[in-house]
Amino acid sequence: MKFTIQRDQLIDSLQHVMKAISPRVAIPILTGIKIEATKEGIKLTGSDSDISIESFIPVEEDGLVYVENIEPGAIVVQAKYFPDIIRKLPLKTIEIQTDDNYQMTILSGGSEFHLNGQDAEEYPHLPVLHTDNSFEIKHDLLKEMIKQTVFAVSTVETRPILTGVNMKVIDGKLNFVATDSHRLASRVLPLSEEQKHVNFESIVVPGKSLAELNKIIEENDETVTMSVSDNQILFQTKNIYFLSRLLDGNYPETDRLIPDQSKTVVKTKTKALLQAIDRASLLAKENRNNVVKLETKDQHLEISSNTPEVGQVTEDVVTESTEGESLKISFSAKYMIDALRIIEEEYVSIYFTGAMRPFVIRPDQNDQILQLILPVRTY
Amino acid sequence: MSKWYPKNGRVIFHVDMNSFYASVEMAYDPSLKTKAIAIAGNPEERRGIIVTSSYEARAKGVKTTMPLWQARRLCPELIVLPPNFERYRKMSRELFKIMAEITDLVQPVSIDEGYIDVTDCSHLGSPIEIASQLQQRLKAELDLPCSIGIAPNKFLAKMGSDMKKPMGITIIRKRELKDVLWPLDIGEMHGVGEKTKAKFNDQNIYTIQDLVDADPYLLKRVFGVNGVRLQQKAKGEDKRPVDPDAVFEFKSIGNSETLPEDTVEEATILGLLRKLSKKVSERLIRKEVVGQTVQLMIRYYDRKTITRSITLAKFLHQEQAIYQVAVDLFETHWNNEPIRLLGVTVQGLVDKSEIVEQLDLFHYQEMLKDEGLQRTIDQLTERYGKTTFKKLQSTTEQQPRTSFQKDFLDDYRTSK
Repeated sequence: MKFTIQRDQLIDSLQHVMKAISPRVAIPILTGIKIEATKEGIKLTGSDSDISIESFIPVEEDGLVYVENIEPGAIVVQAKYFPDIIRKLPLKTIEIQTDDNYQMTILSGGSEFHLNGQDAEEYPHLPVLHTDNSFEIKHDLLKEMIKQTVFAVSTVETRPILTGVNMKVIDGKLNFVATDSHRLASRVLPLSEEQKHVNFESIVVPGKSLAELNKIIEENDETVTMSVSDNQILFQTKNIYFLSRLLDGNYPETDRLIPDQSKTVVKTKTKALLQAIDRASLLAKENRNNVVKLETKDQHLEISSNTPEVGQVTEDVVTESTEGESLKISFSAKYMIDALRIIEEEYVSIYFTGAMRPFVIRPDQNDQILQLILPVRTY
Repeated sequence: MSKWYPKNGRVIFHVDMNSFYASVEMAYDPSLKTKAIAIAGNPEERRGIIVTSSYEARAKGVKTTMPLWQARRLCPELIVLPPNFERYRKMSRELFKIMAEITDLVQPVSIDEGYIDVTDCSHLGSPIEIASQLQQRLKAELDLPCSIGIAPNKFLAKMGSDMKKPMGITIIRKRELKDVLWPLDIGEMHGVGEKTKAKFNDQNIYTIQDLVDADPYLLKRVFGVNGVRLQQKAKGEDKRPVDPDAVFEFKSIGNSETLPEDTVEEATILGLLRKLSKKVSERLIRKEVVGQTVQLMIRYYDRKTITRSITLAKFLHQEQAIYQVAVDLFETHWNNEPIRLLGVTVQGLVDKSEIVEQLDLFHYQEMLKDEGLQRTIDQLTERYGKTTFKKLQSTTEQQPRTSFQKDFLDDYRTSK
């Protein structure tokens, strides 16, 4: 194998596949990066067997030549050394070649590295996804949906299924739901006519996979093809192939847990509320749950926090409207901040049903987003 | 300013009541005076052991923790009384009240002993005058004897109060350490139990003098920081302040009980765990605290003892929750050998008011049972103030019957 490549393109691609590589894997060869050269370009592969990522560098793109002098072949090199070497090479152009003993030579300007590699035949074949169940979605839309839900997945393994985002298609709408059982984030996307043929019941994608995917996909107008099989999901862009295992098990039925009535409804400016909670949480941090208290007053909200050893704070937020019963409720400032941060609309409405019941946050004029938070009980 | 007080240094008292429970009984019933009496838990059962005894009984060889039958053999005329905690509790309250009249800097450490910092009490006289007045007052007003240690720090004061009993007053000055303290056996030192003593002996440390002379690096290696601390104390250095608030910081609550006979019978064992969990739970609720760590102690027939604990994500105080964790620990760690004693302790305690419980989407509905009641209570509390409602315990204000003397400090705590 032999090729000459633009350093920047190689670095970008390496960064992508590195997201799937973990130093702690059951199969030792998976600590390496697989590099394949064909006449079409260079393909890099990284995998930890939960996530597998392939990144392709075409010979040329938009009239720019990225790879030259290709002699096809393949090799696996240590992910611990290869990316750092490439990053620090002196010239913009790098020459790479391998010999029969799986040794790689890297040349750039005056530097010459010899790196021991492994036979690419030893690298496991990525599973091929057999499914007709695929549809296209715009990059920025997918990124948005991930961002609006993935923060709410559970970070503890007590209930593994909750570490994933639940995706389902119901009534022509794609729905992402994540909950760690203390808060829940949901985003609905009505599917277009071309997308409507897609049909999958309910799958659970590891939150970690989606978080990595979000970092790799660029924010632009292009489209991602999502394909779903029984136990895997594939996201495909022009040059990236991102395959993730699905989580086993049934995702809990969450719809019926979301209250559909409310006793107190408050409408207020998103930013103002977010900033008030953020400030109030400054003094709540000391106490272990980062809890703030919210109290409805006539046409405003009072948000307060009190940590005896540190001090106390009261924030006043003017509301557009406050309807229904008066209410006092305590909750984690962190959950509230997470929920409000993903809302771009100027106004939000909060629907309360009582101090010990979950409350719902929805942006004004947008029924695609729903955030739910469980309050805390004080003694 | 008095010549009796150091220019830069402290004067600390350690007040230690002499055979407190027995003395209280004698104060209540003067006919018991000059007789050999002992307080013992459960006089009928095997596990009845001597909790404390009068000096008359001690003269015959009766010792604390000795089984009752053995004490009776040594001293046939022994009068055995069941403990009357309410009485001791009341007396304790009185004696700390008297101490607090000297200064605010009183730190109770158990029902019958405490430290007083009299550094700034020169207006009341010399330290020895204050001490003997206190001793006289406790004797005259409560009819209780005590010993007082006077020293520049807590450790030396504690050592001092131990030197002359009953009704002693001992001053320990730093310059006298090599004559009064250092010749003592290492086991006499406060803070050195049997196990530490054995460990010291292994290192050829037999007297406090040996400890003073020991290589600090060796101590650090073998005993950790505690070894270094003990050496500093032995040298007469102890910077711990007399902290009246220390009484507010109890870190754990536990109960233990010896089984009527060594057993491998699981029903018996689980029954005892249930009972201990219940007691611990009652005490937690009474103190309005919750804890995060549950510790199980198992003592086997051969006195080999293990303690195993687990720290949970949630705080608990309910009997059922404590019991479940204790059983989990038991099932994981029991080696199937006969058990003599079991103990359940909840650690990492915090005030209930300081913690909150994050509700859970999948379980919040279970908590809604008393929602309406809670709302009414909140409304009325708002109107009439915080003390309107107090949660009652289902049992009629039962006093926990065992162990930790520190429970008595609650009185001191609430009376402040």
